[in-house]
Amino acid sequence: MVNPAGPPGRSRRALLGGATAALAGAASLTVSGCGAKAPAGAHSVHKTRPPVRQADITLLAGLLDLERHTVAAYTAGIPLLGHDQAKTAKQFLDEELQHTGELISLIKAAGGDAPPRRAPFDLGHPAGATGVLELLHGLERTQIVTYLDAIPRLSPGPVRAAAATILASDAQHIAILRQAQGKPALAGPFLTGAQ
Amino acid sequence: MAGLRSTRRELLAASAAGVALVAPATALAASTVAARPDPPDERLRRLLTVELLLRYCYQHVLISSLLTPGARPVVELQAGHEQAHVHALSVELTRLSPSGAIPVGPTSVAAADRDLVRRNVTGRLGQLQGEKDALHLLLDVERVVVGAYFVALTKLEDRRLIALAISIMSAEAQHEALIGDLLYHGDAQRSVPYGLIQGTQ
Repeated sequence: MVNPAGPPGRSRRALLGGATAALAGAASLTVSGCGAKAPAGAHSVHKTRPPVRQADITLLAGLLDLERHTVAAYTAGIPLLGHDQAKTAKQFLDEELQHTGELISLIKAAGGDAPPRRAPFDLGHPAGATGVLELLHGLERTQIVTYLDAIPRLSPGPVRAAAATILASDAQHIAILRQAQGKPALAGPFLTGAQ
Repeated sequence: MAGLRSTRRELLAASAAGVALVAPATALAASTVAARPDPPDERLRRLLTVELLLRYCYQHVLISSLLTPGARPVVELQAGHEQAHVHALSVELTRLSPSGAIPVGPTSVAAADRDLVRRNVTGRLGQLQGEKDALHLLLDVERVVVGAYFVALTKLEDRRLIALAISIMSAEAQHEALIGDLLYHGDAQRSVPYGLIQGTQ
């Protein structure tokens, strides 16, 4: 996904090219002659599926399930929010959808298949806008805790960096949600699960 | 700017080439990018250098009397966070390289402005005209810092350093969001415009 209004240097193509190439490189066992159309760094290799990548696919699939849960919560909760909060939540929903797309791309690049969407997600029974904000806050926090745990275990580096771009976005969401709940937007100088 | 993009692409491709070490030698020979050693202390030193620039920018904005009472508490809080980031990186750098040099950061507005030019930031500390200018400058430098962590994460292998890098990178992304909130008065489409936060390089 390209950020259409992104500042110079924010090319998603470059990132995905790097992450995809890295995953393909890690999985490479054979050499091929295909050249110019392959992503940077991957032009000389075929993908195979060694067991070493399964751990990453499992981690990424878990993150995808969380993102889908959060998408479901935003989708269901937006009609219960006031105008301004709903506008912000719609923006966050768009971004959560980008996160799911990114994770699916990473899973496919690793030679895996994205798991089917689990349904229905248990969203509880949030009472009005306050309850929706609490639900969204809780889900964003769960995502943050899970990414903080998962990213150091992912490999190689470009995949970790790609996952970190999602974590950073979720960190922004939780700051704005906390502010909307009347809490301090930032819980401290380092992002932790205590948000 | 195309040159900068190439540099970043090279970094990512170099990481890919590094991982391809499991491939046969013929595959390695076919790679156009050689895997280069990238000591973690050098990587930390670069992160600390850009964090020191960001801290200097916050400090300068705070003493410049450009901020309104609405913005000042946010900037003060975030300036404190930058100090914590500098401290954490300094501790890790000392641990990794006890006898190595620790960057000191800019010591004057002119030095900071030269660093901003080098990093393609358009604002200058010496030319700030008001709060809006100051916030835009801080936003731009925050994005440069996020970009530095993004690139570092393609290289770092030590899990402890990775954990520190993602916690700081995400905190800087939060700073971006709150500065954007001040600039755009709660318009999330403008203050939090990107779903994938990788900063600028």
